[in-house]
Amino acid sequence: MRTPNEPAPLLPLLHAYHDRDGMLTDDALREISATLKIPLADLYGTVTFYHFFAREPGGRDAPRVCDGPICKLKGCDGMLDALAAEGAKPMPCAGRCDEPIPVLRGGEVLTGLSVDDLRVRPTPLPPAYPGDDEECVFAHIREPGRATLDGYRANGGYTALESALRDASPGAVIETIEASGLAGRGGAGFPTGRKWRAVADAAGSPKTIVCNADEGEPGCFKDRAIMDYDPHAIIEGMVLAGFATGAERGFIYLRYEYPKTLEILERAIAEAESAGMLGDDIAGTDTEFRLYVRRGAGAYICGEETSLLNSLEGKHPFPRNRPPFPVTHGFEDLPTAVNNVETLASVAPILRNGAEWYRGLGRGEHAGTKLISLSGDIQRPGNYEVPIGLPLRTLLDDWAGGPQPGRSIQAVTMAGLSGGFLGGEDLDATLDEPSLRGKGSFLGAGGIMVFDDTRDMLEVAHGAMRFFAHESCGKCFPCRIGTQRLTERLARDAGPAALDAWREEVADIGATMKATSACGLGMAAPLITESLLRYFPDAVRAHFGD
Amino acid sequence: MSNPLSDMEKPDVIFAIGTNMTECHPVAATRLKRALRNGAKMIVADPRRIPLAEMADLYLPLRVGSDVALLLGMAHVIAREGLIDQEFLETRTTGSEQFLAHVAEFTPEWAESICGVPAADIEQAAKWYGAAERGAIYYTLGITEHICGVDNVQSLCNLVLMTGNIGRPGTGINPMRGQNNIQGAGDCGAIPANFPGFQPVTDPANQAKFEKLYGKKVDLERGITKVRALERAAEKTMKAMLIVGENTAVSDPDRKHCEHALTSLDHLVVIDIFPNETTALADVVLPATAWGETDGVYTNTERRVQRVRQAVPPQGEARPEWWIIAQIAKRCGIPGFEYESAKDVFNELCSVSPIYRGLDWDRIDKGEYHWPVPEAGHPGTPVLHETEFKNGRGVFTVVGYRDPAEVVDDDYPVWLTTGRRLQNYHTRTMTGRASGIDYLQPEEFLEVHPDNVTAWGLEDGGMCRMSSSRGSIEIRVRATDKSPRGTVFCSFGFGDVRVNDLTGSGYDPVTETAELKVCPVRLERV
Amino acid sequence: MTQTSDAIEARTASQTTIVLDGTEVPFCDGETLYEISRRHRKEVPTLCYDDRLDAFGACRLCVVEVDGFRNPVASCTTKATPGMVVRSTSETLERHRKTLMELVVSENTGGSARNGNIDVDPLRGLKSQELSNLATRYEVDGTRFAGATSGKSRQDDGNPFILRDYDKCISCYRCVRVCAEREGDYAISVMNRGFHTQITTEFDSKLEDSACTFCGQCVQTCPTGALADRKALRDAETPGELKKTRTVCPYCGVGCSVDMLSKGDKIVGIHPAMDGPANQGALCIKGQYAFDFIQHPDRLQTPMIRASNGQLVPATWDEALDRAAAGFLAANRDHGRHSIYAIASGRAPHESAYSVQKFIRAGFASNHVDNCSRA
Repeated sequence: MRTPNEPAPLLPLLHAYHDRDGMLTDDALREISATLKIPLADLYGTVTFYHFFAREPGGRDAPRVCDGPICKLKGCDGMLDALAAEGAKPMPCAGRCDEPIPVLRGGEVLTGLSVDDLRVRPTPLPPAYPGDDEECVFAHIREPGRATLDGYRANGGYTALESALRDASPGAVIETIEASGLAGRGGAGFPTGRKWRAVADAAGSPKTIVCNADEGEPGCFKDRAIMDYDPHAIIEGMVLAGFATGAERGFIYLRYEYPKTLEILERAIAEAESAGMLGDDIAGTDTEFRLYVRRGAGAYICGEETSLLNSLEGKHPFPRNRPPFPVTHGFEDLPTAVNNVETLASVAPILRNGAEWYRGLGRGEHAGTKLISLSGDIQRPGNYEVPIGLPLRTLLDDWAGGPQPGRSIQAVTMAGLSGGFLGGEDLDATLDEPSLRGKGSFLGAGGIMVFDDTRDMLEVAHGAMRFFAHESCGKCFPCRIGTQRLTERLARDAGPAALDAWREEVADIGATMKATSACGLGMAAPLITESLLRYFPDAVRAHFGD
Repeated sequence: MSNPLSDMEKPDVIFAIGTNMTECHPVAATRLKRALRNGAKMIVADPRRIPLAEMADLYLPLRVGSDVALLLGMAHVIAREGLIDQEFLETRTTGSEQFLAHVAEFTPEWAESICGVPAADIEQAAKWYGAAERGAIYYTLGITEHICGVDNVQSLCNLVLMTGNIGRPGTGINPMRGQNNIQGAGDCGAIPANFPGFQPVTDPANQAKFEKLYGKKVDLERGITKVRALERAAEKTMKAMLIVGENTAVSDPDRKHCEHALTSLDHLVVIDIFPNETTALADVVLPATAWGETDGVYTNTERRVQRVRQAVPPQGEARPEWWIIAQIAKRCGIPGFEYESAKDVFNELCSVSPIYRGLDWDRIDKGEYHWPVPEAGHPGTPVLHETEFKNGRGVFTVVGYRDPAEVVDDDYPVWLTTGRRLQNYHTRTMTGRASGIDYLQPEEFLEVHPDNVTAWGLEDGGMCRMSSSRGSIEIRVRATDKSPRGTVFCSFGFGDVRVNDLTGSGYDPVTETAELKVCPVRLERV
Repeated sequence: MTQTSDAIEARTASQTTIVLDGTEVPFCDGETLYEISRRHRKEVPTLCYDDRLDAFGACRLCVVEVDGFRNPVASCTTKATPGMVVRSTSETLERHRKTLMELVVSENTGGSARNGNIDVDPLRGLKSQELSNLATRYEVDGTRFAGATSGKSRQDDGNPFILRDYDKCISCYRCVRVCAEREGDYAISVMNRGFHTQITTEFDSKLEDSACTFCGQCVQTCPTGALADRKALRDAETPGELKKTRTVCPYCGVGCSVDMLSKGDKIVGIHPAMDGPANQGALCIKGQYAFDFIQHPDRLQTPMIRASNGQLVPATWDEALDRAAAGFLAANRDHGRHSIYAIASGRAPHESAYSVQKFIRAGFASNHVDNCSRA
């Protein structure tokens, strides 16, 4: 068993016992409770929060089959039936929408459209860059060996860090990042430089950098591509963040659905440590930064930064009330910067090429680039790095080849599922927050799922709401009850029989969820019903037999 | 307690010794738990691995009856490490030279040889308490129910005086009173040495005052303690006794001796709410009103004076004790018992007691006063000894370690220690008649370390015979590592497990408190 | 004196204001919008709030509008900052609050409540009426948003004190929080998530197999009666008004204030006194549940004297008191004042102990009196 001497020991201990015993036994929980001095009732409750942790014999190795929106289109129900004898269980979107259907079995992920087709396949590389602009994050990702230290160094890897440590002040690093216009690429869009400055200015130590790699948003798989093919870019970004803010430790919080990625990250960290890019004397400059990977256990809400921090600390992973914000009261109540994988991977290129260069990558007044995970009814699904402000149609039709021949695009989702649907004329939007906010949606983490004219949007909406209900943490009332009631109403399991009354209930629940929910999950979920009613009133009416 | 209960959330170092607080004073313990949440460190010294020990940052499992050795070792370290509060020592105390010379010889290693706590842990405890910004000591009967109970308390006082951990919020020396109004009984003068308000009976000024009040001569000598009175009863020189609300026959140690003493009396009057082993020996039994049936006043462990109120009519013909005693007094021709209500009695108490002088029945309606309240308008005294001690300076006491009255030997090789459990209270006269309590604890059991259960041929869940030099009882065995090896525990709550048949090896020479916490016994499977 | 007035001045100087429903009101540093609103008698509804617990922000009923914020904010978790413009009520807020109430009642009753009448016996617990009162206030008839209900009652938990009727649970976590924050026992937690959230214990066990100490604090904070006082409910059908009498617990020396509940001449239960100076609402199993010894049939009902045959027999008060007095007078006469001894009780009120010592001192010029503190 791993010793609890490292920080954030609960998740590693739980995984260690889970792997050893194939489940979490009562005795294991008792031991962990005594070791970490976590009350047994709390520990038990927390374990039940994570859907990966099994409490029945053999539960850990029962196959988990993705039943996310895309896998639903691709036949995951059949896969579940076919694996029923092995005790297969569904898992929410596991981030292989570009190559469905992922099945987690034991320690590895297989993919395939049928049981016979299941095999271990490497993460697909981003398609060759189809645009006329320049990439930032993906600029070198397709080079063979990029994931190794030598491969990373071959194209300027770690030079940004080395020169910053030798020649720049932390303040100068923050100024460059501020000037570049880089903002949080996990979806919240908070200016990265400002966040770092707040952590740098906050009292209390040790400070912490957390890389949010809990890529749980359905339809998002961009972070996996970066981590699998360019892990050192994240490490370099984190050490730079540590230097800029004065943080001496970092965590990568990785979703459990990416076991291969865990190996890649741990190998890269070991390489970086032996090369002196991590540790207590980085690049010979006496700078200290230690990096730990922590594996999640299946909870979408842990992508929300304060839930993530609670999860790291071994607490029940409810979101925290804010303020105070993590920049002053984060991991263990100390100043903490939580940044997305993509954000951190952008840092070293920006420092190498300059703030102006990065700003110039966007269209018009928009700064920089955004990774988009594109999947569903589209000819060339995959990860694309788009200049912010690119027309959506350009991405769909020119870059990704458009829908299958003979089909038309009925709707796309935005921000994975959290931005709801776009359809009709609103498909003319450009990929930037002002344009999308104007249409009641947002870019978010950059997942776009495409549904062509053969799809039943009510069924899609029901699946989406079921996901939100499944992932609602259960703390705040509007989300906990609202997601359930909306799911029931989309399935027509309960609720008014008459359309008008049905619309009124759905609208009232949605309005209250948006206005009063405690975190983004409950505020985003009603965008599904709202956009469904906006773009597809006929489909709703048909559902009522009108 | 020197400090109020609310102060229990404020220390940065807590030293809890001889107190199973989570079970015996659970609500006070919730305050300590909040202090721990706020980041306080806790040192717990107790022979048993009680729940408080599980929460401690440092647990000192000392052998029963060895507290003085542990505390001498701690005092030695505090002095050696320069953790003495010199200013406090010079301005507030006296006798430090002799004391410091005395403790110089008692190293932690010496203490370890007596009390069994590793010397390194004794050092750590001393350093934490000695360096505390706000160090607070909590203790209960685990300190006092020994032949050296006074020595134990004085040893704790010495630590307080060395470190100046008194007179400020979150500090102090805080005994927790075990009964709802035991503090009040003392306040009221139901003790042999003091008139109400702790006014010594040997002080001529007090004698004059009460002579005037009673209109007759008062006794110029201290009275004798209950322990001595029972001895005199057994010797047939004590003839008549009034016992109110105490099952003396069972709750005192050495039960055979108690029963013999009570039956030897010519006249025994018992006022109580339930029939019990003591009422069974009485000549006259008088039914008192119970809690909820009478108005009155209790003083709690933090000297807070609070009202209790009647909610329902008394059962049967039960009457308040003050009424009953007044009626007896009148029939004895004693003047001054013309009370109409509890209020009359309490207001008279306030008028004769300097610590209650600022109080009356109406003023204590909300219970916000801690005595002393020397005059009307005084806010009360939540923290004692803020600027000076009662008699001026705090006095260091030179204390030496003594063995318990009886120590384990070949015939009685096991230490028995006794106490209470969460669900039950005292001799269960009340909890035993509250429905549902039995569900959680249907019978008494003896806690024995699992290794001892095996080694001594006992059976977990089986019965055993436990004997001391005074008697023998049967009790069910429960294996638990709450008990250290070589020491067993049970409560004195169940009438069918007469553990006080066994206890009673000795008494503290000053307070005459019985050594209920230490009794060598022998165990055999039955 | 100077210190006090300085302190007042300093406070006034640092005092700042917000605008609450159009009126400028002062607040103290650290005060939340909810605390300020309540101080100004605004009726901001809550279900997850208990002023003894850290604000939690779950029920969202207490949301208020603050200028400059896109969405309403939870007033319980939002600290006031100078110049904030706050509305504690508005048409929009009341609409959201009503929707929230309709949602929570639908979860609690699955649409079975009728005419806003969610019947909860007040014997269930101190705060057990909160949900039903709010349902009445918002005219929630329980029919809207019907659907699945959450929470599963633990019929198998046969402990005699705490009824675990989770069908009525709304997952406000007050029980979880009071157990951790106030009692420090950490016996209660929550398992699963979302709509499947269930209040639980370690391994979903019965309370007696958990860290529970049966202090009853969870019962007394529950706003729906889902956790209920099983002992008090025995008297649900007993006739009579429920009367509360403030008194102090008769067990240990902590001196916890309680409200004794009675119906007619019968004591039916105990409520902790939230404003009790020694306990601030806390109690333990004995103070909370071990009250019914008072009216136990074993109680001594009449005076008794020892008859010539050696048996104790009932007597009138006069007979018994005469006999009691005669014995003391005889001892005093025949053996002197030091042949009499009295032991006062540490359980009875002051008036008892005071009378006992006065009886000995004033009656017999003796100090032969003690109490039971040595036992």
